[in-house]
Amino acid sequence: MSKWVVRGLRTGIRSTAYPDAPELAEGVSPGRPLPGAYPRDVVASLAARCPTGALIDRGDRLDVDVGRCVHCYRCARDDYPVGWSRDYEWATLADTRGGALRSAFGGSLHVLVVDAGDCGACLHEVEHLNNPYYNMHRLGFFLTPTPRHADVLVVVGPVSDQMRVPLLKTYEAMPQPKRVVAVGACALSGSVFGPSFVSGAGVGDVLPVDVEVPGQPPPPLAVLHGLLVAVGRASPAELTAAGTPAAVSATQPADGVPAGARRAGGSSSR
Amino acid sequence: MTTAAFWTAVFVALCLAGAVAALALPDKRSPRVVAWFGGAAGLVLAALGIAALTASSPWHAVLWTIPGMGVLTVRTDPLAGVFLAVTGVVFLAGSIFAYGALPRLARRYPMRGYALMHLLLLLAVAWVLVAGDVFSFMVAWEIMSILLYLLVMYEHEKEDSRRAAYLMLAVSEAGALAAVLGLLLLAAHAGSLDFARIQATSAGLAGGLRLAVFLLTFFGFGVKAGLVPVNVWLPRAYAAAPAAFTPVLAGATLNLGLYGILRVDADLAPPTTAGPGLVALVVGAITALVGILYATTEDDLKTLLAHSSIENAGIITSALGAGLVFGAAGLHGLAAMGLLVALYHLVNHSLYKTLLYIGTGAVEERAGARHLDRLGGLIRLMPWTALAMLVGVLSIAAMPPFNGFVSEWLTLQTMLRSAELASVGVKVVFALSGAALALTAALAVTCFAKVFAMGFLGVTRSEEAERARETGASGLAPMAILAVLCLLLGVLPTYTIVSIDRAVSPVAGASAAEQLVPPFFAGAAGHEGLPPSFVSDFHDLGAQVGQHVMPGPGLVMLHRGGEANPVVFGASPSYMIAVLALLLGLLFLVVRLTVGRGRSLERREVWAGGIRRLLPEMTYTATGFANPVRVIFQAIFRPTVVADTRETVAEHFREAIRRDAATVYVVDRLVLTPSKRGALAVARTLARLHHGRLNAYLAYLLIALVLVLAIFAFR
Amino acid sequence: MTRVQLERVVAERWAGGVTCRRDEARSVTELTCAPAQLAELCGALSGEWGYVFAGLVVEEGEDAWELRYAFLDGRPSGWAHVLLRRPLDERNVPSVAAVVHAADWHEREAEDLFGLTFEGHPALGDFVLHDDAWQEGVEPMRHAFPADTPMAERRPNREWRPRRIVHAPGSFVMPIGPVFAGMAESVHLHLETVGEDVIRAFPRLFYKYRGVEKIAEGRKVDEALLLAERFSATTAFAHGLAFAHAVETVCATDVPPRARILRVFIAELERLRHHAEAIAGICSSTGLAVAASQAGIIEEDLLRASGALAQHRYLFGLAVPGGLARDLDDDACSTALGRARDAVHDLDRLWGMLRLTSSFVDRLEEVGLISETDARSHGLVGPIARASGIARDLRLAQPYDAYGSLAVFPALEHEGDGYARLRVLFTECYHALRLMEQAHAALEPGPVHTAPEMRAGAAFGAVEAPRGAAFHWVRLDGAGTVLRYRVVPPSFVNWHGFHLAVEDFAFQDLPIILATLDLSVAENDR
Repeated sequence: MSKWVVRGLRTGIRSTAYPDAPELAEGVSPGRPLPGAYPRDVVASLAARCPTGALIDRGDRLDVDVGRCVHCYRCARDDYPVGWSRDYEWATLADTRGGALRSAFGGSLHVLVVDAGDCGACLHEVEHLNNPYYNMHRLGFFLTPTPRHADVLVVVGPVSDQMRVPLLKTYEAMPQPKRVVAVGACALSGSVFGPSFVSGAGVGDVLPVDVEVPGQPPPPLAVLHGLLVAVGRASPAELTAAGTPAAVSATQPADGVPAGARRAGGSSSR
Repeated sequence: MTTAAFWTAVFVALCLAGAVAALALPDKRSPRVVAWFGGAAGLVLAALGIAALTASSPWHAVLWTIPGMGVLTVRTDPLAGVFLAVTGVVFLAGSIFAYGALPRLARRYPMRGYALMHLLLLLAVAWVLVAGDVFSFMVAWEIMSILLYLLVMYEHEKEDSRRAAYLMLAVSEAGALAAVLGLLLLAAHAGSLDFARIQATSAGLAGGLRLAVFLLTFFGFGVKAGLVPVNVWLPRAYAAAPAAFTPVLAGATLNLGLYGILRVDADLAPPTTAGPGLVALVVGAITALVGILYATTEDDLKTLLAHSSIENAGIITSALGAGLVFGAAGLHGLAAMGLLVALYHLVNHSLYKTLLYIGTGAVEERAGARHLDRLGGLIRLMPWTALAMLVGVLSIAAMPPFNGFVSEWLTLQTMLRSAELASVGVKVVFALSGAALALTAALAVTCFAKVFAMGFLGVTRSEEAERARETGASGLAPMAILAVLCLLLGVLPTYTIVSIDRAVSPVAGASAAEQLVPPFFAGAAGHEGLPPSFVSDFHDLGAQVGQHVMPGPGLVMLHRGGEANPVVFGASPSYMIAVLALLLGLLFLVVRLTVGRGRSLERREVWAGGIRRLLPEMTYTATGFANPVRVIFQAIFRPTVVADTRETVAEHFREAIRRDAATVYVVDRLVLTPSKRGALAVARTLARLHHGRLNAYLAYLLIALVLVLAIFAFR
Repeated sequence: MTRVQLERVVAERWAGGVTCRRDEARSVTELTCAPAQLAELCGALSGEWGYVFAGLVVEEGEDAWELRYAFLDGRPSGWAHVLLRRPLDERNVPSVAAVVHAADWHEREAEDLFGLTFEGHPALGDFVLHDDAWQEGVEPMRHAFPADTPMAERRPNREWRPRRIVHAPGSFVMPIGPVFAGMAESVHLHLETVGEDVIRAFPRLFYKYRGVEKIAEGRKVDEALLLAERFSATTAFAHGLAFAHAVETVCATDVPPRARILRVFIAELERLRHHAEAIAGICSSTGLAVAASQAGIIEEDLLRASGALAQHRYLFGLAVPGGLARDLDDDACSTALGRARDAVHDLDRLWGMLRLTSSFVDRLEEVGLISETDARSHGLVGPIARASGIARDLRLAQPYDAYGSLAVFPALEHEGDGYARLRVLFTECYHALRLMEQAHAALEPGPVHTAPEMRAGAAFGAVEAPRGAAFHWVRLDGAGTVLRYRVVPPSFVNWHGFHLAVEDFAFQDLPIILATLDLSVAENDR
């Protein structure tokens, strides 16, 4: 067994510095499209290109409803100049009566994750919060298998028909105070599975959602941000389309340069 | 003493009057007859027993003189007093319970016969306990055996009952035969049938004869007590007896076998070597272990409790054996302790076993089943019965503050005192037996956790059980009495020890109470043998709290080793329960004051992983709960038939998987079946003599005549 | 046997009863038969002639049902589809589950979703649409049922009881899930037991059923592609690729060589990352925390490498019919390859340590056994089949993209226990790196996309996804609208074999066995 101890010690500390400092490594976030001002025809073609209606045509402005973005990257390909950000603090507070949990939970939060029909990616990103890179234990967040001990219910998936009753029972089995964090585009809007005969249009139709984390899937750092927002340790982002431009927080690496121009020397021709 | 004679006469009169009333009155009055006459007689008997216990000298009376046989005497000493008291309480509770349980029998069988035999049984049992000579003892014993047979077989239309009763009778008679032989050997040596004479002359018994007497009486009375090689009848008979009778059967008749062993092997002819004591110790430990193993894996409540009775009889016998070994080694104080512990456990067992059997009878009647796999959730439907059963379960699992804890603790402590013996071999045997008893205690917790959890908690597993209602007063009253007694004997052990010590000290020759219960309340005067610094330490710990409220010795039980073994173990369930109550009360007050009444309690569904409906078949069963025990102790259970047929449709679709694992009782396998085979073999051999030829029969007569003449010629 | 031989043998056996039609371009032989010969023909294909059952596609035509039993063999023979046509009002079809046990769940799914009855199948019903949640008679996959019928409030059926097979005193059904263990996918397991061992395991799947096949109908190809990528996003690229293959086969599109090689590169990167995640799952299920952390670090490294290469950590938005959605420049590929090399180096070191940790190996050896015969009869695929001695890998049997010109080495073990499955995972990681190296070395500049010309038709797209062979059947009309979309994911096939691994083992082994089987509920439930 000692060889494992030695290996563990030699691996050292890999935890990200977030939330104290921004995480600058590559590949930690799939990014999101940024709203901006473009010529009318470009705006129209971009809005038409988006399969889920995340890009909204407002005449000479392109607005972005990040909750609907399914990361198909059709708006980010070379021909289209949509601004792209590599940030990850995407969680917002839904306007329900909840608000953030009391500060008593700030350093000791028990989270129960329920899979209401997700594809596996959101669930795995939440699972990665336990790996050495993100290590949510250092922030005082713990996973619990039973709703009796849970403070926060993290729901992923569009709420398939046959998971409605189990999800409701889980919510009812949690004692007060409790909060619901909906993680992923499916949980916010049903994404491409949309409302159908077996799939819902998001968790909001079934439970009162307090924190929304968009993305498909949101990277672990975004989920972490969502949990921090739920306990009031981080401020929520203003990302949904409300007519106001989204501000890119100073603590994150912002990349406003169009994606297409980044590839110098790329041999690509269609 | 005339008061005692008067009340004895009252007791006999009540029993006989009850018997007459049972015969004279119509059938539907029989439950009342049993309840009133039986209850009153039981109460009087209990009072008589306590009187005999506290009397300064044993009471002796002559019944009548039979020319040529001897004098039939009656003698009540404190030892008999303990048994009388316990029997009286058990019959009181059993008779009240019979009031409600008898009418179930009435559907197919007349109740008058039952009432008659019930009262006669009480009389017979009492006579066994007070018999002062061998003849009256055996007469009473046989009457008691026959009555038992008739009562166990009362539902004679059921084949199970008939077979179980017959087996019981056969084995009991074999045991009685062995016991009579032993007693007659003693009587032959003493030249008289009287117990007092036998006791006076038993010191002169030769070693071989003493050992033979011990073995004959130990295993002979061991049949009734339920010890391992000879208890083949017990599980079946207890399960087959009618529900009204089983509490009495379990609470009173098991004690008779133990009474026999105590009377003969501890009182009349105590052993002088360690051998007999070790036999008792080892047999007791094995009995306890086998009993609890089968109880843990049993599903039927009545059979489960029967095996548990076997277990408790084993514990009592082990303690008795330990006492005998200490006595043979000259450590009379420890011998007294061993006997006291055995008696204490016997009293406790009678109380809680009767309680459990009454509860089982009530459950069987109201919920329609006595198999744990068909019960469940009864705590909501039968709350008072559940509470009483909880008390019984906690007592039998040796949980403080109930009585089982005290006797179990004392038993194990007494085993530890074997450190003061000289012989290493004996100490090894003690260690192994003690380990077996400790394992038994742990398995008992498992077993009774299963009983209560599967029987009373959780989801109701059958429709009949869902229709259960609370049982009537005739069931609740005796349970309440017994439960209160269980609690009292657990919370006030020091007084009980002092009382039982009166029975034990004449037999063992020393007082155990002085060692176990130092008189902390008595001030400096009562502290002989205890160093003052020791006493003041205990006073600092609060051992004199309650001094002016409670009389007598104090509330702390103490176990002090000798010079070779200077350890101290102390326990006080009384203080424990008082502190517990105080703390819980304080906690309740604090919570109410700080949290206030604003917080409401929300009642939610049980969490089951979010499934749509939790069905009864998705909850753990009693068999599943006990399965690990069954698997680990497979060598003992030896499941003989495991049919695991998988019928498949088209090779891959399985329709059914069947598993029928039938376990055979190990005593049946090792004792009953070989004896049956042996007896049949002998019979077959002898049957060759019956070939029907007249000439050969005449030749037999001739040979026999010649042999007899030869014997008389050479005498 | 070759296609010609197949036709000859069929003509000899069922002269006139079974008609053959060969499609050389797609190497498919269609055998149209009558109901009476169905079971025999399928039995002969899978039993005597060594074909492997790939899937059952049920299509509701204008006036007839078309049931397509697809069988697949190695290179020379290709596909053999057995077609059965029934008039729409006739719902009874003979069951082939007795001879081709791998078809068991396909028939149950068709019964639940289409309302067909498979005569002779002993266990129909309560499969996709749970009987205690849906009323009888709903047939969602039929054209008459609109996909956006609103989810009605349903009351549970109080008469429903779990199917019991074990008859033993004291047996009960231990329910696990659907919400359990802190973070596992939602699945309901019924374990029949008498207390120690699992005697029979019965998974109740489809709690996560999102009706992907139904939703895809009527959507354009690029919208349906979104569904293909996202129903099981942990292997998004593989499923997107399979869908793209199907469309390319229908439209007879030629994919440019650079795209083919890049597809191999990206697919093997995904396989490497997926296997690292499976290894991390096995280590954490046995409680070996340091190993689980090490594997977790490797998996996150590979996720970040994927994110740096393709913007999305799970490789969304790359596979499109006709090639790749955008090009990846060679420098980015070299960086990704370097990161993959580091990851495999770390994996190798981890394997060296795991192999020598007896407490870890003891919990995997001889636990969760699946024999080769059982694996073959249930038609298991992927690493777990290769661990039971079935050497089938679509990259060798039916090479696609650039696999035909690269050296592919299949991993193979024979014990069929958890340890064998772990060894297969590690071996496939090493092989994935070798394929990435080969692909990277073979990269030439060129275009990466050819726009497909929409045509009417239907075809299978097959890909060796990280969990096993995945088949996507796509039927298009001339305008590029999807008329029927059928997915046979590897997890659907392997969940069928789940009970083989779990039965007769103790409860404590269940999480470990689940981890070694690496089954995805999202992939099964679609």
